[in-house]
Amino acid sequence: MTDKTPTSGGLTLPSKQLMSCGDITCELLVDPIPRPAPEPIKVTIKPKLSRVVLVDHLKPNSMAILKLTQTILRERGIEVDDQILVKEDASRPMPAAMLDSLSREGGLVLCGISD
Amino acid sequence: MAYETLQDIENCMNNGWSDGLPVIPPYGFLVDEMLSAMGWQASDVIGEIHDQNIIIRAEKAAATAVMAGCKTEYGPLLKSLSLALLDPKFNISGVEVTTGGAAVLVIVSGPIVEQLGFEHGANALGANNRANATVGRFAQMMRYFCGSGGGVLVSHGTVGHPGRLSFCIAEHPTTEWEPYHTQHGLPAMASAVSIMSAEGPNSCNNHYGETGASILDTIGDCMNHYGQTAWYYRSGGFVVVIPPDHMALVKAQFSREQAAQYIYDHARRQTDDLTNVGRIAKQPIPYAEVEEHSMRSPLKSIDQLSFIECGGEGGRFSAVIPRWVGSQQVVCRPIE
Repeated sequence: MTDKTPTSGGLTLPSKQLMSCGDITCELLVDPIPRPAPEPIKVTIKPKLSRVVLVDHLKPNSMAILKLTQTILRERGIEVDDQILVKEDASRPMPAAMLDSLSREGGLVLCGISD
Repeated sequence: MAYETLQDIENCMNNGWSDGLPVIPPYGFLVDEMLSAMGWQASDVIGEIHDQNIIIRAEKAAATAVMAGCKTEYGPLLKSLSLALLDPKFNISGVEVTTGGAAVLVIVSGPIVEQLGFEHGANALGANNRANATVGRFAQMMRYFCGSGGGVLVSHGTVGHPGRLSFCIAEHPTTEWEPYHTQHGLPAMASAVSIMSAEGPNSCNNHYGETGASILDTIGDCMNHYGQTAWYYRSGGFVVVIPPDHMALVKAQFSREQAAQYIYDHARRQTDDLTNVGRIAKQPIPYAEVEEHSMRSPLKSIDQLSFIECGGEGGRFSAVIPRWVGSQQVVCRPIE
């Protein structure tokens, strides 16, 4: 027996509950998977503001691609921040202060772009 | 009852509670026994992944240990290993999702190796032995269960390697140099578990070398091929696995520190060649510290190279295990 397996963006998430049933009784199996509380990240599909903020994560050619992106978007009349933010280490999670700041950004945040 | 158990195994596998192999169903009484062996209460907080709002309680680790097939007598080791895996320095989610396809390499050293019956001789990197197989599997399952954000993060490993199912090696109880964990600040007599994220092992065959230098040159050359991930960022490092026959030659000529220095000095490639072949960006970032026209080591510093003595006698194969560049530190904890 299982609970309904939820999906997220096409992903099948692991069940939160499984039961083992014998002839007479059932028992819950112990869930081995820790889960975010509440939701891991709230993704807003449509930005509140028509603006783009670019973040360079220092992987190869990230800055070159973002500068080109900045130029192309501006040619198309889209507001793009002058400053391209820099995440200092591609292999480590984003610093909490930076994540907090970007999570309050009303425009679209573009990061993780590289060759 | 056997049929119900098989159903439970299938249920686990069909609902995301598996690493791809059959598991022992995490029945409450088994998890309780494992918790007791680990010295924890079910609700004890043993780690946190702050940016994902995930708190990990002891019950999750104990359930995972049961599912991996671990014995309760491994409890103290599994406790130290769990804390190492959830140490923020290890970056467990990064290891899970990276394109680098990294696994958790577990190294067990000290008296615990014999006490728990780990294989440290023949096929030391892939022993068909319960302690090696299940402790290594436990580490990978923790990576998978805890590092994937409750299932919302997808691993982007490009090719990965078989160690993502189980990857645990144990050092000889008696070593020529000091035990592995002394390279990470623990006393020689301690029992320890150390983890790092790692690519798959590269075998280094040298059957006819007559000096320690010839063995180290072979190992250094293995670290030096164009495809090593280390060339650009140089953030990870290497573990060198030395079996007794190679060690007999190396120890006659070098101390551990001298051997590391020898490899650091000699195992180098021309920077311009690395750039021309595409292993270093033509416009490198400052972090990479690229010096044009120089001989470049795949190590940024000598302390990124460590040695472990294990493997069987009668063969002359060492191994080089490249660490993943995203985990910059080995996490080493005593087993108490």
